[in-house]
Amino acid sequence: MSIAVFLESYNGKLVKAAKEAIGVAKSIGSDVFGIAIDNNVDAVIEEAGKLGLSTVKAAAGITIYHPAMYSRIIFNAAKDADVVIFPGTVWGREISPQVCVKMDATPVSDIIKVVDASTFKRSLHGNKIHATVKAEGKIVLTVRAGIFDVPELGDGTANREEITSEVAEGDAMIKLAEILASSSDRVELTEADIIVSGGRGIGEATNFKLIEDLATELGAAVGASRAIVDAGMRPHSEQVGQTGKFVAPKLYIAVGISGAIQHLAGMSSSETIVAINKDEEAPIFKIADYGLVGDLFEVMPKLIEAVKAAKKSA
Amino acid sequence: MKVVTLLKVTPDTETKFQINSAGTDIAEDSSIEYIIGPYDEYGVEAAIQIKEKLGGEVISVTIGSGNEEKSIRKAMAMGVDSGILINNADLKSSDPLSIAKAIKEVVEPLNADIIICGKLATDTSDSFIGPALAALMNIPVISEISSLEVTEEGVVATRDAAGRKERFESKFPVILTADKGLNEPRYPKLPMIMKAKKKPLDKKDTAGTEIRKNVTQVKAEFPATKSAGKKITGTPDELVSELVTGLTTKEKIL
Repeated sequence: MSIAVFLESYNGKLVKAAKEAIGVAKSIGSDVFGIAIDNNVDAVIEEAGKLGLSTVKAAAGITIYHPAMYSRIIFNAAKDADVVIFPGTVWGREISPQVCVKMDATPVSDIIKVVDASTFKRSLHGNKIHATVKAEGKIVLTVRAGIFDVPELGDGTANREEITSEVAEGDAMIKLAEILASSSDRVELTEADIIVSGGRGIGEATNFKLIEDLATELGAAVGASRAIVDAGMRPHSEQVGQTGKFVAPKLYIAVGISGAIQHLAGMSSSETIVAINKDEEAPIFKIADYGLVGDLFEVMPKLIEAVKAAKKSA
Repeated sequence: MKVVTLLKVTPDTETKFQINSAGTDIAEDSSIEYIIGPYDEYGVEAAIQIKEKLGGEVISVTIGSGNEEKSIRKAMAMGVDSGILINNADLKSSDPLSIAKAIKEVVEPLNADIIICGKLATDTSDSFIGPALAALMNIPVISEISSLEVTEEGVVATRDAAGRKERFESKFPVILTADKGLNEPRYPKLPMIMKAKKKPLDKKDTAGTEIRKNVTQVKAEFPATKSAGKKITGTPDELVSELVTGLTTKEKIL
């Protein structure tokens, strides 16, 4: 069985979800090749080799993302594969259906577990139901980001096969006109090992500095609950939960977050969960490994100092 | 401007779901409230705002199995002019590619300038239909947009992609999929609710496409719940001390 995986990258670096997708591919079978499109494709091939891929089909010299062009390149590289795997990213979700149409394959989106090469678990109804599905024929998979392990780095190298890209009629209809860098230099939520999130208990937007200060000390990403995003205190790009982002970092610190189902749906797979809340009955305590019952305005300044001290002594 | 909005009717995710007796899916019972898919609702609102700015009409297209009319009427009360409903339970439970092909059969003859839907169907967790339809119709797609500007010449839309903001420009026709943050869907007002009852809804049993069932759902279950949490009480200093000790020695994160 031949398995293709799209190695989504940006400026020569694989995104975390693509590394997870490599892990998924290797768990399904051994005959795996990657497909890379980047302006610095050599760096992507090198990284993919270290993550255990022996072959990468590479399209060099493409300087900007274009959904139709990417779909065409990936289709041409992957059309003989039995399974084509995409990371669960904006690009992956945009391109994978187009490749699936071209292959006339069977789509299975947003998987959270591989049972076998044609059987997968998916999370439905806002993570209230987990379903097992069996797929027939050629399969185009997207993998939910943040669930699967990244393969360990080795010293392997991948062989490079060139793939070409041609401009097609209709490509000029649309262009990616501008890429604006992220407004902050913080690590992105879905890429982060540690996330510090704030909720309604924060009270006012200015108090969010406590969340940001702790995140800075920990090198963490900043998240927010739906309540304070809806209140306009934080941007939607920071929202964790059913209508925001799905995250599963090593450490999730929920500050002043009560733990509505909609929030838990987005973070309950985190490895270690810390909750700080003065309401002892808050549902977040049901899943917190460290449930600190206390006033966040008293606890947070002390925690920030303690983390600083711990870093110094480390 | 002619705008088609793809409208999926889904169970409210706030529903307390039960599993059916076969253990393969949720039980379809009366406790389920059916709503316009939350992301599709952003698409409906965007479509209406385009019409309000530039004139034209908004048509909704739905693939359904019997629980849809109330939600379509709500979209009409928001400002959708007319609707098309393909009522076919077999089609609704087929694989997403068959559904995309059926939607193409219905949508392509409408010659829309803009086709808009949600970025995600919350019931099946699929983000498939918008980009698939773009490939089937060979037109551009901009997915998961959080801002949109439409002029007579085309659209400018931005989205958040892995921490970057991407700004796309496209000519017509184009398919857009809506993320949260694009707009605030309006609440229908009473006169519009009355008017919506009389708006045309074209009901069909088939889109005339092949129904393929390449995906079989064999099991449905509730997610495993995390083991009960551990509460720590005490003075702020004690709380912080126990946490930092745990994170350094036990979890080895710090």
